[in-house]
Amino acid sequence: MHYEQLGVTEGDFYNRNFEKGAREDTMILNLGPQHPATHGVLRVIVELDGEYVIRAEPVLGYLHRMHEKMGEVKTLSQFIPNTGRIDYGHALGWNWAFVGAVERLAGFEVPERAQYIRVITTEINRITSHLLWWGAFTLDLGAITPIMYAFDDREHLLDILQMPTGSRLTHSSFRIGGVCTDLSEKFIETVRDFIPKMRERLPMYRDLVTDNVILRKRLEGVGVMDADMCRRYGVTGPVARGSGLAYDVRQAEHFPIYEGLDWQVAVRTEGDSMARYLVRMDEMEQSLNIIEQALAALPAGPVLMKNAPKVLWKAPKGESYFAVEGARGKIGVHLVSNGGEFAYKVKLRSPCFSNLSAYAEAARGTILADAVAILGSLDLVIPEIDR
Amino acid sequence: MIDSLFGTIKVQYLVKCDPAKTGLAWSVFLAQSDLLPAVKLLYRANYFLEDLTAIDAKEGYLAVYHFDHIDSPGRVALRVLTSHEAPELPSIASVYQGAEWHERETTDFYGITFTGNPNPVPLLLAPDMTEHPLQKTEAQRAFLWDLFPPAEPLRAAADFTLLTPAAKLAETGEA
Amino acid sequence: MTFLAAIPSELIHIVIGMVAIMAFVGIHVLVLVYAERKGAGHIQRRPGPFEVGPHGILQPLADAGKLIGKQLFTPTNADPILFWMAPVLAVFPVLLLFVPMPFGPVVTVQEVNLGLLLILAFAGIGVLSTMLAGWASNNKFGLLGAARTVSQSVAYEIPLLLAVLCIAFQKGSLNLSTIVEGQGSWPWQWNIVTQPLAFLIFLVCAFAETNRAPFDLPEAESELTAGFHTEYSGMGFGMFFMAEYANMVVVSGVCTALFLGGWKGPGIDGVWWFMIKVYALLALFIWVRWTYPRVRFDQLLNINWKWLIPLATLNLLGTVFLMKVF
Repeated sequence: MHYEQLGVTEGDFYNRNFEKGAREDTMILNLGPQHPATHGVLRVIVELDGEYVIRAEPVLGYLHRMHEKMGEVKTLSQFIPNTGRIDYGHALGWNWAFVGAVERLAGFEVPERAQYIRVITTEINRITSHLLWWGAFTLDLGAITPIMYAFDDREHLLDILQMPTGSRLTHSSFRIGGVCTDLSEKFIETVRDFIPKMRERLPMYRDLVTDNVILRKRLEGVGVMDADMCRRYGVTGPVARGSGLAYDVRQAEHFPIYEGLDWQVAVRTEGDSMARYLVRMDEMEQSLNIIEQALAALPAGPVLMKNAPKVLWKAPKGESYFAVEGARGKIGVHLVSNGGEFAYKVKLRSPCFSNLSAYAEAARGTILADAVAILGSLDLVIPEIDR
Repeated sequence: MIDSLFGTIKVQYLVKCDPAKTGLAWSVFLAQSDLLPAVKLLYRANYFLEDLTAIDAKEGYLAVYHFDHIDSPGRVALRVLTSHEAPELPSIASVYQGAEWHERETTDFYGITFTGNPNPVPLLLAPDMTEHPLQKTEAQRAFLWDLFPPAEPLRAAADFTLLTPAAKLAETGEA
Repeated sequence: MTFLAAIPSELIHIVIGMVAIMAFVGIHVLVLVYAERKGAGHIQRRPGPFEVGPHGILQPLADAGKLIGKQLFTPTNADPILFWMAPVLAVFPVLLLFVPMPFGPVVTVQEVNLGLLLILAFAGIGVLSTMLAGWASNNKFGLLGAARTVSQSVAYEIPLLLAVLCIAFQKGSLNLSTIVEGQGSWPWQWNIVTQPLAFLIFLVCAFAETNRAPFDLPEAESELTAGFHTEYSGMGFGMFFMAEYANMVVVSGVCTALFLGGWKGPGIDGVWWFMIKVYALLALFIWVRWTYPRVRFDQLLNINWKWLIPLATLNLLGTVFLMKVF
């Protein structure tokens, strides 16, 4: 912007901006944009006093694609593939948030079977997302092996998820008014076989990794966020639930299918990295419960409503906000329409964006290795932060 | 709930919405000077900031703040209007630190200045970029009364005409 | 011939020995790279290298070829002399460490009365090379890695020394061959039985001194990208790599000689027992690396200053006391 006004010549704009508040005897270190701990192109500038982090400032925008603008120049149904690419970890959560916002705006009734399919696939997607996080997070802590085990399970799940959605990563199978394909018999059978297998794997993960003394010493008491801090920064999802806030959109906003199923919101009160870790591990178990019950209760019927909108369908005037519990927190889509085939305004509320904004405060005063552990415990997906 | 919480604040327009139809529980229009007191009240009532964005309309930029509550969920939308010529709003980052990034993002996208933001540098866009991608041209802009469906407000200031259609306004003006 | 006769026979002996050591180290680095990659593979439920040669057996050669073929790159503003001195300094002291190593009853390059001291002294130079590498490369990650190395190695040399001293006191010698001679063929006649605590302390320190996981903080990948060798390419990195594996062999060899009876074993004594024990320890190194997460830097030093040093001191005092009494 105004390079000259800052009066410094080295480093880029953000470095110079950061250095203005730095002490004389400290070292400014750029973690990223290419750094193994950031799992993508996030950049965190840290001010180090020896190994201690005095200040940290995330620098965003390396993966910015301006999805909100694309939402205004594509018709509503054309925008669905975009939503799958915002968060590659939990693509179906974003799918659901967007089509949900459109359905709410238009007042559409989604067929019951489609709702069940959405629940099942979203929950499978949530497990794959948590497995991805688990592997990457243990990698941050220096344990190289768990990611291989996590990906073993994740590959099976992606194979399964490929059947109804047609893709392995950037799913975009939800449609306005339903889903694009019905569940096949083979899918249902494979999932039924997989659930007990996964239930055996989770205790093994606990024994091998979670109960490891080094891992516990690395995570317990590290990066404590209290409930008030979560509120000030708008932190949601497993991070907030690790701080004792029993807030889950699936329960809070009375999602129709989830209401009838037997599952619990995983909550821990410690607020440290270990609590966030355990919340996600518990959530995988809860997701298995949800999938199992939803499969058992799967009703027959159509998967897409009659007269589902075509490409050039015009949404009614008005606004709607639809939130979904994503793997990383509250995914929100705020849609404003002026009655055209394009949205007048699409606001994408990304959970990682808010969760990461709390990072600077959580990392202050920690040792560098802890700062990396905290960054990992937030479960960041960089494309979702930058959108 | 919100109408009693905002009892001390001179809201311009307050409407209770149906969460099943819009996803909002409350929609509140505020004057710029009332934004910070209202946000402080929400903070004391344990609300958390969901997001912050703006809508580019004919009347100006309508900044929208979404809040939600952990224990008794119900989304509150605060809306504050600022002009196209000198878009400026007070920053709420002193109350909700998380708003800092949302405000910087809104500055990037719309060019709205948030006075009091602790670190007002570009967040998502390049530092030397001068365009604001979500700004609309005059032809693309719609009227606010066109975007927001008419509702029965619980409270409304007498001079609040943002959501009254122009035709109706002209009618009553004539009358 | 008179010309040759003028050279002292010890010198010829040492020169031949050094050549043999270089060959030994070279071969063992290749074997260890393969073993580590295969071990990692099987621990991670995958086959490991499989493409180059049967069961990927030629993979280390391909790796070496790749490293040698890469461009050597000196970063701007780095000190080129110190920068390239560091990898050399990493490898050559390690080769010297093999001189007093008692591979077998006669298979020792040179029996040195103060062999143990020689090993500890030259092992210290390794720290210097790591520090130089981190400092000379003009990289902040390198600098942090170098700072970590120094405090880590200096700290862990103390309990290591104390643990080694227990054996030296007990056997009354600093000559590794003599120490091995003092142990019997059967496992219960080894020093590990009389000094189990010293063995454990030695082992923990060995992990720290060789910068192996869970104590690989100088090159902690997720925090410091690659730590002190961030800026090294090609064989610059390759030499650090070699030094790491050579160090592992040395540490395992010393551990075998001190605690596990060296070349002695049930049946026929000989080099094979030494190598079997060394490889068992190396397998442990590999197993631990691919199993545990990394400790934090303050925890690493806490383990040392709060646990290892007091325990090692107590162990040494106890040993001295018992030696005096009996």
